[in-house]
Amino acid sequence: MQQKKMAAPCGRMASRPLLQFLSRFSRSPVGNTGFRQFSSATVCPVCLQRLPVISADCSPIEQQFKQMLHQIELEKSVLSDHELRLLEDAEKMSRKQADDYDSDEEDSHGDKEIMMAQDLEDIWEQKMKNFQPALRVRADVDKDLTSAERCLADSLVLLAEQEVGDEKLWLLPQTRWQEGETLRQTAERALTSLPAAGFKATFLGNAPCGVYKYKLPKAIRTENSIGTKVFFFKAILADGAPPKTKKAPFLWVKKSELQKYLKPAYMMKVERFILDL
Amino acid sequence: MRVVQDMHEDREAVVKCAVGVTDGLDLDQHQGSALCPFLFAMKMDRLDHSLYGEHHHLVQSPWFAPVMTLKTSAPLRAEPKKKKKVDPRREQMLRERLKKKLKKLEKVPPELIPIEDFITPTKCLDETRERTAPRLSFEESEGRALLLKEWCRYKQKQHMAEVEAVELALEAQREALEELKLESEELYRAALKPDPLLIPFVHEGPAYTPAIPNYDAPDGKYNDITKVYTQ
Repeated sequence: MQQKKMAAPCGRMASRPLLQFLSRFSRSPVGNTGFRQFSSATVCPVCLQRLPVISADCSPIEQQFKQMLHQIELEKSVLSDHELRLLEDAEKMSRKQADDYDSDEEDSHGDKEIMMAQDLEDIWEQKMKNFQPALRVRADVDKDLTSAERCLADSLVLLAEQEVGDEKLWLLPQTRWQEGETLRQTAERALTSLPAAGFKATFLGNAPCGVYKYKLPKAIRTENSIGTKVFFFKAILADGAPPKTKKAPFLWVKKSELQKYLKPAYMMKVERFILDL
Repeated sequence: MRVVQDMHEDREAVVKCAVGVTDGLDLDQHQGSALCPFLFAMKMDRLDHSLYGEHHHLVQSPWFAPVMTLKTSAPLRAEPKKKKKVDPRREQMLRERLKKKLKKLEKVPPELIPIEDFITPTKCLDETRERTAPRLSFEESEGRALLLKEWCRYKQKQHMAEVEAVELALEAQREALEELKLESEELYRAALKPDPLLIPFVHEGPAYTPAIPNYDAPDGKYNDITKVYTQ
């Protein structure tokens, strides 16, 4: 009895993939009036992100917490070798300066110069001062929107000025889809075809990360293409500063600054997948 | 050889045997002599020569004299000669048993490799190293407790924000894939394929200060004293 019961759902399961298989063939992109034809008006923009290069500044509560933790750690720790040495040296000094000091009592280290721990510390301080690290924040570079080196603590997105229809808009760099290539290849082409580019990027996967649909204004609408779909692809800028060219229509913007440049509907879709963590 | 010969040379004795009395054999043998088997061999040799040479009628008798000595000499009887097959087998069995015992002893489970991070080095447990613990005022300890609570709340908000952002991004991707499916099956399938070149993905994380371009880092020397354990 149980066997029969098992057989029934199995039978149904077997028929399901068959139906799917058949339906797949029926839903071919060409020749089915129910579905929109995949028009060559589809564009694939690429969302190129430059990830942060330096750690972000601590917020006030983070700073407070950091200090407190440091204090607690110091209290709970034991003395290190260096600190012990400092204490010993201090003791020796105080003994030397005492009136009833007898140098013969001391363990003789010969005529060698004993390095005091304090001297070591001074040497280390000196070395530290000699090294100049690069500045974390450079105000002039930060203001330059075209530079990829601005705002090193945040992740930036590349924007390019492109013509859509009649107007010039700031968009994520894109190109049209062509027959015979996958969407990811289109996105890669978009990146390489940027004028004076030379960006090396790693694309994150074959799947698009976002979509934006819009209807074309009635003047341009044809039978087939009522609107277009825009599939976004994510990429991360590889290390190595790209060559900076003046007057190149690029902008590197933080997520908070995107609003100034993008159209509201577009912006709504785009900001979902740009992670500013 | 020479010594033995000298020992026995001038002794002439007459041996009475079944065939008759032999005339004065050159060699004589003492009963129970330790050199019995050696003498026996020598005697055989000499007997052959003497008997075959002179006394033809004594040809059949070379085996009699040795037989008589065989009967009487005890050491000759006591020597082991027969154990040929049983011995190697027994020895082999012994060896196998020993080997098995050795293997059992050697089956000690392998020693666990110690995790050095979990073992406090004895240097740190030294009493002379203890710091004098400062006494905290009431306000300070209160302040610390409150700060911890605030930190907890802050971190929770941060975490929730992260989770939300990730969920939004996933939702956006799901929508995109759905739309793509509606558009074109082929491209949808192409989009679903995993990208083998993506993994392993390497990216250097943020440091405190940005890297100085064309910086020549000084070469450092170090001695690697990590202990390597083998099992």
